[in-house]
Amino acid sequence: MIEDKLLIFRFKQGRNGTLRQIYDKYKVELLKLSVVLTGDVNTAEDIVHDVFVKFAQSAERISLTGSLKNYLVTSVINRIRNYRRDNNRHCETGLEGVEVFSSPERGPYQWAVLSEQLTLLSHALRELPYEQREVVSLRMEMDMTFRRIATLQNTSTNTVKGRYRYAMARLRSLLNGEVEK
Amino acid sequence: MRSADDIKRLFRNAELRIHPDGDERVFEDVLQARRHPMEDQPATPDSTWRTIMRSPLTKLAAAAVVVIACLIGLSFWRTTGSGIALADVLARIEQVKAYRSTTSAQFWSTKVTGEDPNKPYNFKEAHDTWLISKEYGRKSTDEELDPNGGWSKTAESYCLPPKRTYIDIWPKQKRYRRTEFDDRWAEQFQFQDSPDTLVKRILKYKYESLGRSTIDGIEVEGFRTTDPNHVIDIINRGESEIQADIKIWVDVKTQLPVRCDSTYVLFYQMENKKKYEHFVKHDFQWDVPVAAADFEPVIPEDYTGIVIKYPAHITEETAIEGLKLLVELLGKYPEKIPIEADFADVGDTVLRLAEKSETPAAMRLKEEIKGLTDKEIGNKLVDFLMPIRGLDLFYMRLQWYKKDRAYYGKIVTPKDADKVLLRWKVSDKEYRVIFGDLHAETVSPEKLAELERNLPK
Repeated sequence: MIEDKLLIFRFKQGRNGTLRQIYDKYKVELLKLSVVLTGDVNTAEDIVHDVFVKFAQSAERISLTGSLKNYLVTSVINRIRNYRRDNNRHCETGLEGVEVFSSPERGPYQWAVLSEQLTLLSHALRELPYEQREVVSLRMEMDMTFRRIATLQNTSTNTVKGRYRYAMARLRSLLNGEVEK
Repeated sequence: MRSADDIKRLFRNAELRIHPDGDERVFEDVLQARRHPMEDQPATPDSTWRTIMRSPLTKLAAAAVVVIACLIGLSFWRTTGSGIALADVLARIEQVKAYRSTTSAQFWSTKVTGEDPNKPYNFKEAHDTWLISKEYGRKSTDEELDPNGGWSKTAESYCLPPKRTYIDIWPKQKRYRRTEFDDRWAEQFQFQDSPDTLVKRILKYKYESLGRSTIDGIEVEGFRTTDPNHVIDIINRGESEIQADIKIWVDVKTQLPVRCDSTYVLFYQMENKKKYEHFVKHDFQWDVPVAAADFEPVIPEDYTGIVIKYPAHITEETAIEGLKLLVELLGKYPEKIPIEADFADVGDTVLRLAEKSETPAAMRLKEEIKGLTDKEIGNKLVDFLMPIRGLDLFYMRLQWYKKDRAYYGKIVTPKDADKVLLRWKVSDKEYRVIFGDLHAETVSPEKLAELERNLPK
């Protein structure tokens, strides 16, 4: 936490080396979160790329009192929600923006390489309603409290706990026999 | 998988490795963004064509171009070698009672600057098949590439004007959504992206003849437009500039489309990104026999769903109605609109907000839904939520059409007759403002700036 505050402080002073430190510290975590939330590695890369670009552009506005990790995680979540909302909107008018998943063919400039376990997990999570996917991913991946997730989802802690229970039950059923260790 | 611990373990073991080449490329973009911070750029970048069109001189020149374009269009009408006029193609399509078609789509992105700016990434593909009938409506099926090979169905949609209903079914999620609409909506849903709409849009702007060619052994004649205005009103996702290239190939004998190619390049200046979208409409089967049963959606019992109704017209009055209902329910304005909370339906959000409220309207609502099942509550709320859905849609449309919207429900109360609650741009010289007491006025940008300066901090 203190390390993050120091990073933000230095970054706001314009030290570009600090940007690299922040980028290296959080890129994997954010990419993984984005993969499990979108179920698609290409979209996930795009989203985290844009989050870092926006972050780099708006450094002067970031408050020293906030948590850097929370800021970046919230940025990823908001961007994914916007992406989904845009896609849903365009679904109504035809194929444009339809929720599509990537072709297995990936170009030479891929950023994230998924382990078999992560691919399995992201495929299973895709079967959950998005709100449940978000709860279980933030809880498991980001160690976020139910209260914090409730704030992010603008709902009650009880609703979040309910979503978590449903999600876990469904995941258990989906992953049954797939992974025991 | 036995327990929550197993799932936790799976999350922990699910690793992601960074590819060094891609990593350097991304960081280069990030670094470049740092060198050109947001403060140097307008908050909402206007597209080039909008900026250009603001100049009175350019407007005049553009008007001249439009006249010339009309004349060129007219000359094509009269002089294409084959004698095919695009207007005749439109008339021919309009005679068709039912047809099938397939759309294959590809999406990818590239960077605008930096190393290898034209290397594509984030490549995606999708398929969509349509069955369209003048009598019954439209059925469409969306497919995605299956990781195990082939294509798998992701969604099925039914746009049924006679029933004034639009139904989406998502088989993987076992969910559905039924939207009930009026005649105006029917028109909007039915004609988007269909070949007749495409031809109408091409006819509206500057286009050229591509001459004769052969597709699948059929002699065709092509028409093309690259006028971005062709799509400016249907694509609006925050892009700063749009390029369009639309080609339609028509069977010389039947005068019906055989293939339509549309490519859009959307520029996102802030993200240093270009997105490409390529659609090919093909496999047209004209005048196919259809039956009512083809347009009967089958929704399995175990699917869950919601019913949505929107007001007939989405206008400023719709927005005011929605705000009025929310004030009655909550005793204050909601902190943010759209009420639709990212992924939760409006109904869930309204119920959650009403739960904390003790206004007579909220108490009445709570009493009415006491003891009802989720499905019964959903049915009961269909009409009740209509004005709020209308408000959400109105506000979202302001964003889609870049109307420089702002909402101050967090700091403005129903008693604040002189404070801006909601505003949007009407023209360069005018803004429309809904005040705290829900009366509306048109003001100048200067007046708006003064009003917004006086808002509570």
